[in-house]
Amino acid sequence: MNCILKASGLKKYYGKNDTVVKALDGVDLEIEEGKFTAIIGTSGSGKSTLLNMFGGLDTPTSGSIKIGETELGGLGKEEAAAFRRRQIGFVFQNYNLIPVLTVWENIVFPISLDNRKPDKDFIMKIVTMLGLEHRLDSLPGNLSGGQQQRVAIARALASKPAILLADEPTGNLDSKSSNDVIGLLKMTGSEFHQTIVMITHNPEIAQMADRIVQIEDGKIKSVSTP
Amino acid sequence: MNKMLKTLAGRSFAASRMRNLIAALAIALTALLFASVTTMTVGAMQSMNLTMQMQKGSRSDGDFRNMNREQFEQLQAVDWIREAGLRMPVSFLENAKRHNVEFDVLDEVQAELTFCMPQYGSVPEAADEVVASDQAIRALGAEPEIGAQIVIAFTVHGKAYELPMKVSGYYETSNSQLSVMWTGTAFRDAYPDIFRYTYDRDGEMAGTYYSDIMVKSADGLKERMEELSRTLGGNPDDMKAANYLPAVVNRMTNPAPDAGVIVITVLFAALFMFCGYLLIYNVFDIAVMQEIRRYGLYRTIGMGGRHVRKLLNCQVLWLSALGIPIGLLFGYVTGRTALPYIMEIFADEYHTLLVSVTPSPLIFAAAALLTVLTVWVSTRKPVKKAVEIPPIEAFRYVEKSTGRRSARKSAFGASLARLAWSNLGRNKRRSAFILISLALCMILLNCAGIIADSVDVEKQASWMIRTDFAVVNLVSTNNMEGFKRREEALKKETIADIAAQPGVREGTAIYKNTMDDTDVTYSFSHVEALLAEPHDESGIGSNMIETPEADSLSILWDENGIVFGLGEDKRPICNVYGMEEAALTRMDLREGECDAHTLYQKMENGEGVLVGVPLNRNDMTYYEVFDLTEIGETISVYKDGQLIKELPVLAKAGINGDDEEIGFTCAGPLRVGHDGLFLYLPAGVYQEIYDDPVIYKYSFNMEEDKRADMETWLADYMENVDVSIDYLSAQSARESAFAMRRMIRFVGGLIGVIFGFAGVLNLVNMVITTILTRRHEFATMQSIGMTQRQLTKMMVLESLYYAAGACILGMTGAVILAFTLVRGIVQTQWFLSFRFTLLPAAAVMPVLFVTAFIVPVAALRTFYHDSIVEQLRIAG
Repeated sequence: MNCILKASGLKKYYGKNDTVVKALDGVDLEIEEGKFTAIIGTSGSGKSTLLNMFGGLDTPTSGSIKIGETELGGLGKEEAAAFRRRQIGFVFQNYNLIPVLTVWENIVFPISLDNRKPDKDFIMKIVTMLGLEHRLDSLPGNLSGGQQQRVAIARALASKPAILLADEPTGNLDSKSSNDVIGLLKMTGSEFHQTIVMITHNPEIAQMADRIVQIEDGKIKSVSTP
Repeated sequence: MNKMLKTLAGRSFAASRMRNLIAALAIALTALLFASVTTMTVGAMQSMNLTMQMQKGSRSDGDFRNMNREQFEQLQAVDWIREAGLRMPVSFLENAKRHNVEFDVLDEVQAELTFCMPQYGSVPEAADEVVASDQAIRALGAEPEIGAQIVIAFTVHGKAYELPMKVSGYYETSNSQLSVMWTGTAFRDAYPDIFRYTYDRDGEMAGTYYSDIMVKSADGLKERMEELSRTLGGNPDDMKAANYLPAVVNRMTNPAPDAGVIVITVLFAALFMFCGYLLIYNVFDIAVMQEIRRYGLYRTIGMGGRHVRKLLNCQVLWLSALGIPIGLLFGYVTGRTALPYIMEIFADEYHTLLVSVTPSPLIFAAAALLTVLTVWVSTRKPVKKAVEIPPIEAFRYVEKSTGRRSARKSAFGASLARLAWSNLGRNKRRSAFILISLALCMILLNCAGIIADSVDVEKQASWMIRTDFAVVNLVSTNNMEGFKRREEALKKETIADIAAQPGVREGTAIYKNTMDDTDVTYSFSHVEALLAEPHDESGIGSNMIETPEADSLSILWDENGIVFGLGEDKRPICNVYGMEEAALTRMDLREGECDAHTLYQKMENGEGVLVGVPLNRNDMTYYEVFDLTEIGETISVYKDGQLIKELPVLAKAGINGDDEEIGFTCAGPLRVGHDGLFLYLPAGVYQEIYDDPVIYKYSFNMEEDKRADMETWLADYMENVDVSIDYLSAQSARESAFAMRRMIRFVGGLIGVIFGFAGVLNLVNMVITTILTRRHEFATMQSIGMTQRQLTKMMVLESLYYAAGACILGMTGAVILAFTLVRGIVQTQWFLSFRFTLLPAAAVMPVLFVTAFIVPVAALRTFYHDSIVEQLRIAG
């Protein structure tokens, strides 16, 4: 097994003494390259905190995260931002598209920030697979929720990240759109050999992953394959 | 910048119209403030310069005199001289009546530099063509019109000329005694005899070359010009030398920077910067807060802090590009409008005041620079906030609900007033800024009001003049000239004409010694000590300068720098006045014999003299350094070196501007007796001492109903009968004080209003933002039963709390500042007497409350009209 992400002794505490809240309390986890991992847990279990740590959006109280050869704790603010746009793809519950940019501009935005040329053929392949080829000039406001989430997936994949992190990607969608989005996520993952980590509270959706990690009270309760 | 970032910046910019409008307005307002203050400063300086240049008769950087042809040609070739005019003086015309006309050969450069270009007609081409002032043409008996025939008469090199000339053009002059008639070089070529250079032998001016110059840079001009004079073979220092070649810097064009003007400008710039900061900071802080989620989003998808900073800076730049030009334009117009009000206060001191301001790049560059600086300073903190907020925080970002209070007492129920009150604390800094800018408006208006009210019209008028009218020679009211020669005396006929007017009362003629009266000198213990110091055989001591220039006396000075003008026997000639009893009665007798009648009689009997001591206008006490004699001390009077009288000091008087010369000016006494003594004698005694006594001033009162008639009569008389005179009236002295009051009100009011506008803009921005960001909160409150009316009431209350806070702060600040800073300022200016008022601040209060009421009502109508569900959805 080739491990792409390794978290060891991860802790995140808020508050002090009596009022301390342990969002994460000693998490050790390895994510296998090219696999689709679902992290499942109830509201407040610590799953979103874990994902934010993986993405370098939040810093742990103690412990370490290593993605590929990079130790996240050793990165400065600007380095973390650059690492994020090159190595991490994010998909959020509320899509987080930039409303003033078109679909195409949204997709290539992180690559352009690096002054890199987008790999047009590669991106068109993603776009076609996600059924967005006729929507490239639209603004996000003119798309349905499912379409917006597909744009977010395309954006996350476009920079060929080491890992794709999805935070409740179907949380705002009806069940049909939810199934579509997860299906597409899984399909693109296997097509481009993309590591995906998704958090969800929905066990049904988690069933579509290669591996399910259950988290409760900031600790890993179980790891299983469906 | 990254292309995609630019696209994003552009689109975000286009999407936030309301924010852009408010931000651009804030920047424009700041630019307006700066542009108006720079326009006023530069305009006041330009106007003052031009006025002084006109009085001097040249706007050049300097001039060279007494050159021969070769020297002039070499001068023209000097690389640091940008422009050199040609002036060949011929002579004064002998046949001009009641006006001195100097006849010169000029080229156009010189004519332009010395304000002699024709306003009507053209420059002279032929040898018999001239350009002159309208007054000069009239003085030669012709009407000023193109083609008028005149005859000019003059004598040079001992030969008399009488030549018929034709007027090719003319220009208007203000009332003055001297003007130039000029012709072109064709005249020089036609009469080579006139222009033979003999200056080095006989001092004849005709044939010499003068040149007014403009230089590329005025740095070290004096040294460079003197050096050039020497290089040309001249001597710039010794006027007795045959090769005397004066090189004179025009101090009117290149004045030393005035410290007062600089301090005031810096103060205003700082004040405006603060005003701009209060406004722009709030606008951007609110804008960033509104979009903080978006910055969080940018950060999660990999945008660095650097990118966010660039994005925001780019938008700040665009807003500045939009706001600054508009502000500069309106600021320039505002400044121009205000300028005449400011210049009016100098109207009395400067005879022919010119108000002018050209849209110089300096005004706009300085204002733009200050605005950019303010914008930059004000946006740093909001930008930093956007850059540094962690992405996750940005997502969760909600403004603090009620400050830091962790618990609070709850009243029974939640009244709207309490709710509104609680909302104030949401952003302390922002609330404070709104309060401060609104309060500053009140404070500034009130300070200006107090200073304006404190202008002591009567004190100012009585310093300038002790009677209703005083008539003098024009030189006396020109603070660069002053009465100093016998020939500048008032004519007997003029005095008789005035005295014959109906309503004239207590008319008194005042005699005054001049630089021509060096035969009469005085000695007293203070100068005897000075004169006792070692001297060389010619009588010159180390504390003495002998006649450095033609137009001044030898001087002696004491350890305090008090200077005495010396006569032929190297004793002070003093400033000596001869007057009638009525004039003495009006003086401010302070020590010794203080009964004017007794004093006058004693002085008439030769028993002594009255000594005047200049007063410090601030507290009306003697300037100690000028108080050089004691009561009873004897002053010896010498004539042609012989002691003729011994006069004990009978009394001392505190003297003001009117006692020294007239109004604000005492340029004459400063050149004659210099700093002392000021001696006042009865007219009879004065006439006895001086061989050729002359009158410099005629002071008189008027019956009240005839005063206006006298003004009219004098104005007409000055123009048509005796053009050499000028006058000051108590009324015009009061007018100038009123002008000062108007100026302070206007400028103070303007600044106050601008601050008020900034405060209101802040309030508008705050209210609109509150509505936009609290839509969800409002909708929630409405969904649980709050009516639209109650919502409006709550917002109005919030806004009124700001107004009330500003009023309390403003009133308190106004009172505190009034009795500290303002009173301090008032006490440093002699023409002000502190008078407290709170009227201007009180007048602002209703305006503030009405505005505070209107703004939220209008804003809610405009920005909050969808259904509750709609609002909940938008906010969600």
